[in-house]
Amino acid sequence: MADVIIIGAGLNGLVAANYLAKAGKRVLVLERRAIVGGQAATESFGANFKADALHAGGQLRPDIVTDLDLTRHGLPESKSEPLISLLPDGRQLRLTADDSSETLASIRALSTKDAERWPEFVAFMNEAASFLDSAYRTPMPRLPHVSLSEGMPLAQLGLRLRRLGARDMFRVIRMLPMSALELTEEWFESDALRAAIGAVAVHNSTLGPMSAGSGYTLMHNWLNRGGPGNERVEGGVGRIADALVTALKSRGGEVRTNADVKTILTDDLKVTGVKLANGEEIAAPIVISGADPRHTLLDLVGAPELPPEFVWHTQSIKMRGAVAKVHLLTDGNHGLPNGTVIIAPAIRYVERAYDAAKYGQISQAPYLELTANGNVVSIHFQFAPYTLRDSEWSQARAELERIAVDTASAALPQLKASIRETKSLTPLDLEKTYGLTEGDLNHGQLILDQMFFMRPMPGWSTHKTPVDNLYLCGNGVHGGGGLSGASGRNAATAVLKG
Amino acid sequence: MLETLELKRTPFHERTSRLSVAQNWRRWAGYMVVGSYDLSLDHEYWAIRDRAALIDVSPLMKYMIEGPDAARLLHKVTPRDVLKMKEGVVSYTGWCDEDGKLLDDGTIARLGPQLFRMTSAEPSLRWLAMNAVGMDVKVTEVTDQMAALSLQGPKSRAVLNRICRDKLDPLKYFRVAENAIGNIPVSISRTGYTGDLGYEIWIPAEQALPVWDALMEAGDDYGITPCGILAMDMARVEAGLFMVDVDYNASTHTWIEGQKSSPLEMGLDWAVNLDKKGYFNGRRALEREKREGSSWKLVGLDIAWEGLEKLYGEVGLPPQIPSMAVRGSLPVMIDGRQIGYASTSTWSPVLKKYIALAHVQRPYYEPGTQLTIEITVEHHRKQTPAKVVTLPFYDPAWKKK
Repeated sequence: MADVIIIGAGLNGLVAANYLAKAGKRVLVLERRAIVGGQAATESFGANFKADALHAGGQLRPDIVTDLDLTRHGLPESKSEPLISLLPDGRQLRLTADDSSETLASIRALSTKDAERWPEFVAFMNEAASFLDSAYRTPMPRLPHVSLSEGMPLAQLGLRLRRLGARDMFRVIRMLPMSALELTEEWFESDALRAAIGAVAVHNSTLGPMSAGSGYTLMHNWLNRGGPGNERVEGGVGRIADALVTALKSRGGEVRTNADVKTILTDDLKVTGVKLANGEEIAAPIVISGADPRHTLLDLVGAPELPPEFVWHTQSIKMRGAVAKVHLLTDGNHGLPNGTVIIAPAIRYVERAYDAAKYGQISQAPYLELTANGNVVSIHFQFAPYTLRDSEWSQARAELERIAVDTASAALPQLKASIRETKSLTPLDLEKTYGLTEGDLNHGQLILDQMFFMRPMPGWSTHKTPVDNLYLCGNGVHGGGGLSGASGRNAATAVLKG
Repeated sequence: MLETLELKRTPFHERTSRLSVAQNWRRWAGYMVVGSYDLSLDHEYWAIRDRAALIDVSPLMKYMIEGPDAARLLHKVTPRDVLKMKEGVVSYTGWCDEDGKLLDDGTIARLGPQLFRMTSAEPSLRWLAMNAVGMDVKVTEVTDQMAALSLQGPKSRAVLNRICRDKLDPLKYFRVAENAIGNIPVSISRTGYTGDLGYEIWIPAEQALPVWDALMEAGDDYGITPCGILAMDMARVEAGLFMVDVDYNASTHTWIEGQKSSPLEMGLDWAVNLDKKGYFNGRRALEREKREGSSWKLVGLDIAWEGLEKLYGEVGLPPQIPSMAVRGSLPVMIDGRQIGYASTSTWSPVLKKYIALAHVQRPYYEPGTQLTIEITVEHHRKQTPAKVVTLPFYDPAWKKK
């Protein structure tokens, strides 16, 4: 019998599994799909049509890579690529997290002043991101009752913040609730530059660059990407999960695919095991769920088994997916430059793209991120809200694909003619295929009232649940959001502490 | 424009308002109900204990709970083993928040395999709905649609037997059955808030008046008496029955932990089924409290007549007895140190005793413990002896027969 069952072979589930296996636990990972990786899967959508399904890049936290000795288990090389914003006049803004001459020249073409400020901005963003990284590694207390054992790491985090120096500490704290617009206005005068950074800020979120708190999501995305552009993984993001599986097996752990957990079995708020869709029951003293908190608690455990106040808080977690993907198999002549290409020419353009989501509409002029992998072009589309006001996703797929291709083709004239096959993933597909409630990649919006000790909900930031020995390790808990593995590691730490 | 801020009238208002000599109205859950019909409570009180008292209890909050998960919902909400409850049974129960502190108390009646009627003192719809998430069950509030009469007293059965389609003799204590009065379908439960033989009659609101009239006519020979809630208040203290907002606070209405009460503290151990299966609200906290013992308990206090005589004698008076139950906090002490308080006290006409419901700290809540209670004699606060006794104070043999 396994000591621990982990639901979902996404990165966080596999990271948690490895930490636990490393600590000597017998671990069984159950994955409902035929492939591992969760959101970080590289999938085949047809002959010669392989793509990173949901995320064009990703990197585990370096300390996780070291702790789990993943390089030895085949973790692929990854490389930070520039963010390239295609501007209406045909120019390209090229951004990297450094002061390389190419980047500075590209910014200088828009504003000399902005080019001068760029190195300082990068240094500040790196500081802010590294503070956030520390915060994501610090166990959050169960407010309002902070025990001494929780208070110590928190105090260390405070010290870490203090060490940023008076000016940067103030700037980091101030940045969290700010909008990306306000922040970038303070740094730069070029609207195109502000827009590119604003796009990074709202990437994967249902927020606009004018939304309060997009300062925090900018910090978060900068941390997870290691800069403005994606961290591209050699051979596809799916290889990260493959390395984690290899590492897990070497540690005696087991992964079962096509094992669809339908119920987390409990007896009076104690976990006893899981039940699969095929009726099979597997007993285990500890269960960790990589699925989102709402699905885990309300569907897998079931609201009737949980305290009503807790159910109410779980229902109140804001899950608002507005990301769609359109993958294109082309003949190769797509004309995409190398890098993370975005269509976000003006800050108001990005904000208007978000406006549509507020009203339940697909953006007619969306913010797009395009990445190429050989002949395959992947379009990340924002905003396409999960709940459409005047339509259903079963009806709206063609419109989504049309807008994506037309918008991209306006900047990349060769693209349209090069397309051979199209595979789109709507927010509803994200829910059905990837198990993301309301298509929310973050398992709960990354917003100020759902972060740190309020993630996934106030009082439950310790990865525990009211059900004894049921833990949460996915993106919806502290550390989560992105492909960093931080919430998986945090959950494993919580489990080992008991 | 502001609507007139009047209290709601119960379906019996046309009758009760005309019979009320005292016009002594009391507010109850947004309704106006008769406090007492007479200027003195004696006649109405003795109807409860000797004859048959007819009490309008329509303001009770009433909910119909229906569906495949109806039992499951109440099993989660209350500490009673509702899954094992048989059809036709009524259970008295308190219900708790997650910390095992009382939110309210009332009754649940199983009317069918998938149908329950629940009564409460506080509005409970939201709480029931929160608990019903993920369940196949429908909760409908019927407070305004369902009139309720409580017929209490040794002669209540005889009165009902005269006019009901089915005789009441087979209906045991805390059981419920469908019945009819004339051609009006009613549900009758053998329940009440007096500790006497008694019944509660659940009536479609629009047919309330004919039922009232039929009962008054049938009860005439037995001295049936319309009775207000003030006389009932004395009777319920004798019966050891407590009241929300008076003897305990709903945990949602409290500011501090010390203002909350658990059902174990309130002496409801018999109604907390910790051996039942599965999760229910407050289970963990109640298990812990059961294991560790309650830090205080609700007990009865028997206040010695001799003590009262002595204190009043000192100022040249015979003992003065309040004419109704007193809902005021009175300090309870041992050796001059406060270890509790009485929340309701009353003169018991049937027992000829001054009695109180009191909250007393461990270890002083054991029956037989001699304590003292505050009494105000001619504007001076005094302490007089009182003994801890088990509840109820009054338990007539015919209550359950």
